[in-house]
Amino acid sequence: MEESPLHQFELQNWIPISLGGLDISINKAVVFMWIVVLVAAVLMVMAGSARKLVPGKLQSLAEMMVDFIRSMILDTMGKEGMRFFPLVATLFVFILFSNLIGLIPGSYTVTSQIIVTAVFSFLVYGLSLIVGFMLHGAKFLGILVPPGTPGWLVPLMIPIEIISQIARPVSLAVRLFANMTAGHVMLAVLFSLTIGGGLLIGWLPFAFTVAIYGLEFGIAFIQAYIFSILTCVYLGDAFHLHGHDEHAH
Amino acid sequence: MPQFESHFFSSLIFWEVVSFGILLFILYKYAFPGILSVLEEREKKIKDSLDQAERHRSDAEHRLKEYEAKLSAAGKEAEAILAAAKERAQRLLDENEQRLTAEAERIKGDATREIEQERRKALQDIRAQTTELALMVAEKVVQRSLTETDQRKFADEALEALSRSQQR
Repeated sequence: MEESPLHQFELQNWIPISLGGLDISINKAVVFMWIVVLVAAVLMVMAGSARKLVPGKLQSLAEMMVDFIRSMILDTMGKEGMRFFPLVATLFVFILFSNLIGLIPGSYTVTSQIIVTAVFSFLVYGLSLIVGFMLHGAKFLGILVPPGTPGWLVPLMIPIEIISQIARPVSLAVRLFANMTAGHVMLAVLFSLTIGGGLLIGWLPFAFTVAIYGLEFGIAFIQAYIFSILTCVYLGDAFHLHGHDEHAH
Repeated sequence: MPQFESHFFSSLIFWEVVSFGILLFILYKYAFPGILSVLEEREKKIKDSLDQAERHRSDAEHRLKEYEAKLSAAGKEAEAILAAAKERAQRLLDENEQRLTAEAERIKGDATREIEQERRKALQDIRAQTTELALMVAEKVVQRSLTETDQRKFADEALEALSRSQQR
């Protein structure tokens, strides 16, 4: 084993830039963010400008994805949730393309950086808090007391609910980061075993590499889906406090 | 783990926000409206087509019922016409038969009467001729002239005898 399986996540400052004392140097992860944005934008805009009633392949795929996200939003938030469609759909597209592009050997998986997923999760969770307080005012604090809690349990429930609320952004960020990191680590370990094992035994870890690679492809989709559906759920909770409305889950 | 080296955080956060913002803007502006509008348009079109198909179906059903009603009405009418025609034909047949029977009856009656008349006339002729013949024969046989009354008497007696022998 010539290198650590974690080596692939290391970053070097390629072009050091500083903006008012803030270090915004260009590194591999930043470059791949740009690539993700470029690829996603080009494909989606192409699909969006086709506008054919009988769609081609690209338009079909994009429509499938958009329709999927739309029904996800309608299921969790209801019709007024469509205001958040651009945000949720862009999150989905960004995470999906990051995950998929990261699977190309030699590339970089942007979503394997905890800070990247943390920014998304705090953005989503912060937005849900803002929406909740804007819609319900101070009553939104009632989210800390689940409906039907007996009075004497309230002092116990509030700390528990606070912890569960804090767990939301943390778990959202860690889930995506950990899935991406673990997948790539596993691939790196298996592949270094293939190289190290030589022809005699190396085929076995190589077969696993291929299988895990297929699995990772699925995980790329699943994690993008989980991230965006949880976004919908958290925003939906803020919308329909305690599920008073008809679109509650 | 290399992901926890915090000196990359500032640049990653900055570029992530910038890239995500740009992507959000581009997709919001140029991609989503097109895709969403096509989806809605297609949904609407499918819904319209289904509605139209449903409308056509109910239309066709309605029309079918109409035709069926018309058909059954026409059938009934035809039956009525047929029944009327049969009745008329039967009546005509009966009338004809009656008329012909009456005619035949009349002809038969006429013929019977004529025959009867002819028979009577023939009988009278025979009686007259026979009387004369008898007179002639009696005159010759008796060789004398009898009174008219005697002659009548003899003749009647002869006739009586003749008709008795004839009847026998």
